[in-house]
Amino acid sequence: MGKYIIRRLWQSVIVILGVTVLAFVTLHLAGDPTYLYVSERAGQEEIEATRQKLGFDRPLPEQYFKFLGGMLQGDLGTSLRARQPALGLILERLPATIELTLFSMLLATLIAIPIGILAALRRGTPLDGGVMLFAMIGQSIPGFWLGIMLILFVGLGLRWLPISGHVPFLQPLFAGDFGTAFGSLPESIRHLILPAVTVGVFSLSRNARLVRSSMLEVLSLEYITTARSKGLREGTIVMRHAFRNALFPLVTILGLEFGFLLSGVVVAETVFSWPGVGRLVFNAINQRDIPLVQAAVVVFSFIFVGLNLLVDIVYAYLDPRIRLS
Amino acid sequence: MKQVRFVFVLLALLTLVSAVSAQTPDENTLVIAQSVDVGALEPSLVGSRAEANIFGHLFATLFEITGTGEITPFLATSYSISEDGTEWTFNLNEGLTCHNGEALTAEDVVYTFQRAADPANAFTGNTVGFVLPGAGYVDARVDGDLAATIILDGPQSESLRLGLLSEVYIHCKDYYEGLTLEEAAEAPVGSGPYRFVEWVRDDYLVIEAVEGYTLTETTFDTIVWRVIPEASTRTAELIAGNVDIIANVPPDQVNAINNSGIAGVQAVAGTRRIYVGFQFGEAFADAPGYEALQKTEVRVALQYAVDVETICAALLGTECERASSMVNPPNSNPNLTPYPFDPARAEELLDAAGYPRGENGVRFETVLQGPRGRYLNDAAVVQAIGQYLSDVGVQTTVEILDWSSDYVPRINQKNVGPLFFLGSGGSTWSALYDMTDLSSPTAGTNYTNWMNEEWFSLWDQAQGVDPETERELVNQMLEVFYNDPPWLMLYFQPDFYGVSTRLDWQARRDEQVIVYNAKLK
Repeated sequence: MGKYIIRRLWQSVIVILGVTVLAFVTLHLAGDPTYLYVSERAGQEEIEATRQKLGFDRPLPEQYFKFLGGMLQGDLGTSLRARQPALGLILERLPATIELTLFSMLLATLIAIPIGILAALRRGTPLDGGVMLFAMIGQSIPGFWLGIMLILFVGLGLRWLPISGHVPFLQPLFAGDFGTAFGSLPESIRHLILPAVTVGVFSLSRNARLVRSSMLEVLSLEYITTARSKGLREGTIVMRHAFRNALFPLVTILGLEFGFLLSGVVVAETVFSWPGVGRLVFNAINQRDIPLVQAAVVVFSFIFVGLNLLVDIVYAYLDPRIRLS
Repeated sequence: MKQVRFVFVLLALLTLVSAVSAQTPDENTLVIAQSVDVGALEPSLVGSRAEANIFGHLFATLFEITGTGEITPFLATSYSISEDGTEWTFNLNEGLTCHNGEALTAEDVVYTFQRAADPANAFTGNTVGFVLPGAGYVDARVDGDLAATIILDGPQSESLRLGLLSEVYIHCKDYYEGLTLEEAAEAPVGSGPYRFVEWVRDDYLVIEAVEGYTLTETTFDTIVWRVIPEASTRTAELIAGNVDIIANVPPDQVNAINNSGIAGVQAVAGTRRIYVGFQFGEAFADAPGYEALQKTEVRVALQYAVDVETICAALLGTECERASSMVNPPNSNPNLTPYPFDPARAEELLDAAGYPRGENGVRFETVLQGPRGRYLNDAAVVQAIGQYLSDVGVQTTVEILDWSSDYVPRINQKNVGPLFFLGSGGSTWSALYDMTDLSSPTAGTNYTNWMNEEWFSLWDQAQGVDPETERELVNQMLEVFYNDPPWLMLYFQPDFYGVSTRLDWQARRDEQVIVYNAKLK
């Protein structure tokens, strides 16, 4: 098991390095970022001077290895635009994104399970059709459009929820300010609902379909028939015997769901003016703030690779055949 | 029973949810929403209009440019110019202070300029990238407690230089000297009518009025600058009454705001000149249409080919007046009238220029490049222009390019054309400022590589002369520009501001949102 973990750790390091190389090359392939840091009326001399100030006049390998050297010492560079350590900027914004991601995941899971089960139990009925229709729409609806519609109808029309903005919960919590964190929790949740629905509706739809098909499969197995023939109540069969087994596929993808949702929050953060990492990176890409984008790529890579690693280790723990192979 | 319980739970949830938070600003608070945030709270790093709007309240300048284009005393009471035009001495008001109570004297003014220009600070943005080189800044020195002298590299138009120097945000030496650049970028101490209170990056920034500020009046105790990147969300917040002013209202949302009863839209003709540039650079010699476009007659003919009024009405959602020159009114040459839309005349002139329609109806082919996402409805406008040109037989292929990754580097390297669509920021206070795009054949902003000897000779003559002579020379230059056009002049970009009906505030033409004197109705 130890060897397996070490091997996977090495693979993770290679993946992270690969991602940083790819990000670095693609960012520079998109043109010289200097032009975004000079006035639109700057002359060639000023452009050249700025290029030197920003370090973009150095050869690309030198720039990359400088970044890599800094990374090994925990220094991911300084944002060109904010003039602050890039890692600090990302960590400052991460709680808001985690709030949104976790809440979306919670919505996607807690709603998907009951409606998936209901659809399976009422297979072929209008209820099943309705759930499947909802799931199909949920998977095909564009996030930005849904967000704007929610703002127009729920935020502006009905005035039920705030249109945009963020009330932090995790940030004061991490800072040890429990009074502020829990005092503002109701407001935090109210601000979270619309963006979380926007982010989570795709996952919700997919999870509902997954639970339904998984439940149908389990319900057709022989042990369920046996349970029925023994005269057990339908509720007991469903909840005690079928439900647990039907959840396995969902549990499998939930491990990676966090990473998936994390990468999908940019649209919701933009539409709902949510000050998270997604928007930070989106703006940094537009402004060609290369150190900040690089730092974000590293942080995201760590999160993704870390989650994958965790899932793999759990699998290996549960199923020894995986680590032996 | 279960159903009754369900209904109760649902009602409770709805009650909780519908308790809409009190986001509506009170009578002492003004809320403004912009699409982008400031990058850093560093006055020497300001690079966008959205940033300048906030810094314009936190930091004061030596002179102030008003909404109507006058340049009036602010921190300074007056200035004098040395005989050779290279030394400008500004005399400051007495008793000025920065927000931390530190006295603001000539030493602080000198420090501000020297700090901005110091290469060790590696500042980028408007001050160091445009203002200082544009004004010919060399150094600064203290000539008394309240007299600061800025040393410049030669004579220049007085109004142009004064306007440029009026864009530098003055800050106090003792405070900023004690900070690292990183610290300074988080905790600004300014000299303007509002002080910094709180900033949550990409969310909001709060400033509050400085008590006893003597240089201007302030109406609201608190101003909140919210960052709302999505235009529809800004509009929704305005209509919900949570925001007082929003900038960059898309034309398709104007009616929704005007019909809301909560807010209205102010459309102003901005100072940004929108034009199609003709590329003269030899690197484009083999490009389609290059040869034809070198002929003055062809370029004049194309001025008649584009229906600017219809473009404005159909694509920008407002009426606009076609520009007669590159200079904003009222500083333009009053004797020039905009070219009318007259496709028959355009065809006539193209025939006369030696480019009759061929059998396929095409006179010559060319390429029009333009950006997406920089100017109001830019991609659609570019496509419309391409079609108008094709209609008079100039078969135009339109290429739409991404603004930041592709178009900006091309523009700065003058690698666009043979036709390219662009906007250039202008002013209300100086004709020469608007003409600096073409300050020399090799100027960084002469993206067309235009080389008209008469124009550039007149430009040199217009530096450092009295205002009347400068006016005459400007008028002559604009005639040259009109008759040998390097640009196909289109319009001054309209700007749309959504403004709450509770507010008495007038939007400015220069894209600045200054709200010292905004009032409640």
